[in-house]
This record gives sequence, C-alpha cells and structure tokens, in this order.
Amino acid sequence: MAERIACLWCPAWPVVALRARDPTLCDVPVAVVERGERGLVVIAASTDAVAEGVTPGLRRREAEARCPGLTVAEADPQVEARAFERVARAVESFTPRFVLEEPGRLTFPTRGPSRYFGGDTAMAVRCLDAVRDIGITDARVGVADGGFAAVLAARAAEPDAAYVVPPGESSGFLAPWPVAVLEDPEPGEAAELADLLVRLGLRTLGAFAALPDGAVLGRFGSAGARAHQLARGDDEATASPAPPPPELVETAELDPPAVHVETAAFAAKALAERLMERLGALGLACTRVMIEAETERGERLTRCWRHEGALTPAALAARVRWQLEGWLTADGGEPNEGTADVSVDELATSGLVLLRLVPDEVLPATGRQLGFWGGDPAAADRAGRVLARVQGMLGHPAVVTAVPQGGRTPGERVRWVPWGDPREPARALEAVTAPGANAREVPPWPGAIPAPAPARVLEPPPPAELLDAAGEVVTVSGRGDPSAPPARLRCAALPGRGGEIAAWAGPWAHDARWWDRRARARRAYWQVLVAAPDGETIACLVAVIAGKAALEAIYD
Amino acid sequence: MLTEHTFAYVRVVALAALPRRDERSREHLDNTARHARPVVLARERVLAVPGPLGALLPGGAVQRGTVVAVDGDPGAGTTSVALQLAAAATAAGEWAAAIELDASLGGLAAGEAGVALERFAVVRRVPRARWAAVVAALLDGVSVVLAEVPAYARVGDTRRLLARARERGAVLVAMGPWPAEAALRLRAGGSVWRGLDAGAGVLVERDQRVHVDGRGAAARDHVALVEAG
Repeated sequence: MAERIACLWCPAWPVVALRARDPTLCDVPVAVVERGERGLVVIAASTDAVAEGVTPGLRRREAEARCPGLTVAEADPQVEARAFERVARAVESFTPRFVLEEPGRLTFPTRGPSRYFGGDTAMAVRCLDAVRDIGITDARVGVADGGFAAVLAARAAEPDAAYVVPPGESSGFLAPWPVAVLEDPEPGEAAELADLLVRLGLRTLGAFAALPDGAVLGRFGSAGARAHQLARGDDEATASPAPPPPELVETAELDPPAVHVETAAFAAKALAERLMERLGALGLACTRVMIEAETERGERLTRCWRHEGALTPAALAARVRWQLEGWLTADGGEPNEGTADVSVDELATSGLVLLRLVPDEVLPATGRQLGFWGGDPAAADRAGRVLARVQGMLGHPAVVTAVPQGGRTPGERVRWVPWGDPREPARALEAVTAPGANAREVPPWPGAIPAPAPARVLEPPPPAELLDAAGEVVTVSGRGDPSAPPARLRCAALPGRGGEIAAWAGPWAHDARWWDRRARARRAYWQVLVAAPDGETIACLVAVIAGKAALEAIYD
Repeated sequence: MLTEHTFAYVRVVALAALPRRDERSREHLDNTARHARPVVLARERVLAVPGPLGALLPGGAVQRGTVVAVDGDPGAGTTSVALQLAAAATAAGEWAAAIELDASLGGLAAGEAGVALERFAVVRRVPRARWAAVVAALLDGVSVVLAEVPAYARVGDTRRLLARARERGAVLVAMGPWPAEAALRLRAGGSVWRGLDAGAGVLVERDQRVHVDGRGAAARDHVALVEAG
C-alpha cells in the first residue's frame, strides 16, 4: 500500500513569482518563456493570457501574435525558488516533513497532519488557508496514495480547492489519464516512452497498467517498469528507500561565514560534486537531498529537495543555490505584505558557518553508461577542476567560454558564457524563417562583416580618427555613402599612433534595431589596412557610431 | 625486445605480491612498475601541430612540458599564431585555455582557427598580482595554456612556471616578452593581406610571416605561412 501523500501545487508559478517581484505586471497578460530546442518557448502564462490562447509549449512569436500586449519574460529559476520559500514557510507551520519538488510544487506525507486536523479533507483545507494567508489564491491540493497520483490529483483540483482520492482508489483515479502525464515534469526518457505508447495504441494509463509486468520490463526496460508501476498506482519504489549510511553526509565549514549567496553557492558547488562522486563510487544515485545550514547565531535551517530521476551534480548544485538564495536574500522583493513577522525568526539573520548535504533517499544507480568516444574523461575532469579553482580565485564570471551566436560585428557574434553555465547563444545563428514560407537561402544577418574574423576585439573600442586626403574627418551619410575616401587612421592604440591607409573597404552601414527608438543605432564599419612605421601593414576594423570613429578590432 | 621482457617480469612480480595487501608490498610493486616502465623518449612527448604552422616547427610539433614564446608587434599576427597552437590541442581532444590581462581575444577568430570552443576556456582581466598563480593553476589541468605576459613579469615567477609546465607536461604559450628560457621562440613578423583594395573588396586571406627560433629550428627562419581566411 503506497503512502498517503498530499501535493500542494501553485499553477503557473513562474508568473506568480514574476508578479511578486514586479507588481506592475499584475494587471497585464504575462507569459514566461524558456530557451529550449525550438527557441524561446512559453512555459507558463497568466490566466488572462491563457484565455487569449497562450498555452505552454507555444513559441514566443506565436504567443505574441495570439495575445497583443503580452509581456514576455525569461524564466529565472532562482527568483521562482526564492519566492516559493514563502510558501514553504507557510506549509512548515503545520508539517515539517515536506519535500520541495520544484518551485511551485511540494509534497508531504499526510499521516501526521491528517490525523491531527481530522482527516485528509480538513488537512487540505488547512493547507489552503495557510497559503491563502500569504496571498496565493489559486493553489490546489491533491491527496492520494503515492506521490504520482497526488500530483495528478492536484492537477484535477479546482483553483483554491482540494481533490482527495479516497485510500485504495488511486489506480481507478489514474486509469483515464493520458499516458503523456508520465513525461511530466522533466522530458527525457519518459517522454520517449509516452510517445511510443501512444503509437502502440495505449493512450491511457489504465490501458498501460493492464499490461503484464514481465512483458513491460522485457520490452521497455527498467524505466518502463517504473512508469508501469506509477500507472498502476503502485508508487512504493521511492517510498521505502534504504536509509543512506551516515558517512555519506558531506559537510563544509565556511570560515569566514558566508553572507553572500555567491560565496555560499561556490562552496555548495564543490560539496555537491564531492557528494555525487562518493555516491557514484558506491553505485548509488540520489533522488532526495536535505540541505542543512547553520548560521553564526546557531540557527539551523533545513530543507528537503526531491528530483524526478537521479540528481546530477549540476542539478543538485542548482537546488542548493536556490535554497541559499531563499535563506540569505531577505524576502525576495514581495509586494507590500505583512510577511516580515513570519520571516524574522525563519530566515538566516547572519552569515552561514556550516553547510551540510544529507542524501535523504538513495537508490541503486541503474546507470548512465559513459560514451566510448568524446574525449578522455579523466582529462575533462582535470580541466574542470582547475577551471573551478581559477573561478574560486577570481570569481565565477572571470572564466568564460565563447559561444558563437547571430550578429553582425565580431563582438556581437560571440557570447562569452561563464564556465560551467549552459553554452547557449543569446541570438539565433540563422535567421528564423516562418514555416511554409519560401524556403529560399536567406543570408542570416545581412550586412555582417565577412570572415576572416579579427583575433583582437577591443573592448571598449579606443577612439580613433578616420581622415581623408585633405585631413577632414570622413563621415558616412544616412544612405551609407562616405564623404571622401579615407586616407589616414589616427589611433593611440596602434604602433606609431596610426598611419596612412593602404587599402580599405566599406563602409558597411547598419541601421540596427530601427524599430526600437531606445536601442536604435546607426553604425558604419570600415576594413582598413594601415601602414605601420616598420613598413608592415596592420588590418583593422573601424566602427563609426553616431559620428564617432573607434578602433573596433585588429586582425592580429 | 627488451621492453617485452621487462613486462613479463612485472607480471610475475604482480602475481606473487597480490595476495599480500599491506602498504609495503604495494609500494614495492609500484616502484617496480615505475622502474620497469618502457622508456618514453622526449621526442615522443609532443603535441602535433597540423597545418602550415606545423610545417615550420621542428618535427611538426611542440614539445610537451616546454614554453613556446610568441612575440610580435600589435597587429603582426601574434594572436593568430598562438590560437593555432590552441587549435592543435583541441584537435587532439585535449583542453586549452587562454589568460588575458584585458578582454580582447576574438572568440570568433578562435573558432575559425580551428579551436573547439567547448574545450577552450578564457580567463579574462586577470589582476597582475594573481597572474602567476592563475597560470600555474591552469598548467595543472590544461594541455595548452596561452598566457599574455604582463610587461614587468618577474623572472622568478616565469622560471617557476617553466618548471611547473615541465612537471605537468603542459605547453605554456607565452604571448609577449618572456624573460626566461623557452624551447621555441616564434616571432610574428607581420602579414601580407590579400583581397582588400582601395575602396573595393574585402579581407580574404593573408600570408603570415613567422620567424622560428629554437632547438632544431636553425634553418627555419623567415618562412612564410599561408593562412587562408
């Protein structure tokens, strides 16, 4: 018999968190987007936006087309987690044993609180009261046997109401749900499984659950067998994990005490890696972890985070970081509400002196086989370690890696991403063509400076003067015509402070972002070969922005 | 033949010593293995440099555990030459890093030089006081380290870095005035650009002159390196 679990779900939490941070967004339609494989995709939308047809999974552009006046913001898991810390504190007032699944959703076993409050329904009402007190009006609570059914029960509930599945009826409750819910919340192996099941004609959990166990294991492997258990409402695999041996606890003492999130998060990153390495050596994977911290004044803070599937070091480090944000950042910018009295004794009031990660639930790792190729993993490990050490010396953003992205100038076409962050371009490399449009080869970024790229891109560009034969400054008209051919370049950054121009090309004139009055910039670029004092020539890229010339790059 | 023979000997020792798991027998085993390891000749511990630059280098490669000093006036091609050495490391599936005193390295140019950008880290705006410590840290785990040398680098620091590179088998590419010894000194001697005219065309390719100086490179001065853009 699976354990009775309650799930508290705040739908569209990214929107709630965003509005809490920026109250001016409260009465406009809002959508939160995240960068995925298909570009910027909506992950959550406010109710007024949903009414206009903005649904999760929509591309940003399409969402904007469906709902004019839509405010689009990028997802920020840190802000979401920080805002959810308030909800966690509200729930903590009646049950200490809850588990954060993701910002916007937490689960807890109902056994204690339900008996105390007199039944699951009474407990759920109490829970909704608690979150309504902190200003969240559309939370839902689901109670069922097992965590999976509880999450779905919360989805079935009306806003600000509870849905209680009576004990023993979870499998009946689950049967009509489509198999697509198995892929919730993290796409991955389960997404492929759900897709495959639909193509096999098994459209509901009930149909999938009716298959014999052995056949499912033989055909779909261990991931399939787990999904089959969930579909049957038999959610016991994670409910009775082996208690992890105490020596797996990883502790870091912070001296001097960490007052800033950055400092603590850096220590946490190393801690997470150490923990995962040790668990990996024992063949274990961690699905639930307790994050504990002690402050200078002896306060102890504890939170439990859970993850579908096994936590990776990066995922664990991200969760620790979210939690530290919640503790160390005094109330993440909530709007004018009386939360101060809640927070004073709960938040860290001084620096953290101790950080501890306790793997709360470990399972045998069913394994991620390392590839046969793709470089030497030991070398990658070594490089990762020394780069992390340099980040420790100089700060996280000091070590960067280049990601090519769309743009016109050499500086725009590279995004420098701090080492360890996802390598994603901020602008697409190719111009996006609408589906169905004439699939002609469109040159991406018209007017881009052609290859080869300059090896030195000066930031900030030192001021320069581009002069014609008569000694006048060369200007570029609105149509992109030069006033005279350039003859001399003067710049303090060049040897001999510049010299005669031997050859030149350009100007390439861009009227960048002409549709945006604030970001609009009229720019012109020149490639010039400047004679150096020693008889050599130096190839340079000169930018003229708003009439001012500057040495943008040197082809070193 | 000799090496095969010693291998066989090691295996016998290992079998005899395995049942005893105490520290002393393990240490003994390790020592034996170390002595019996086949000799690695210095010329085998190299990083092959592909392309035209490799053709200029002695043996078409740079020695691991040495310093390659790359020097030249601004605009003469120092950075491009150094990036080709980084590309050699990433092409071999290894890692490269660059240390900058400012933040001017062109990421796009690195990609065009053949550097695999996901294995190429750049440390930007290194404070001069921590320069030597950062270079030393990177030499620990990265095969090729491109380091801009500050104008007044201490000779003591550079000697220590030289020793660190030798110990770790990494290649330190020093960009700028390198006051200590270097196994190889490359000097970028300017380039002839093609494709650009008075008011027409666009930079297309260049002939990069590189002077190579160092052991086994006496006859290789003043050779032109064609670098297609």
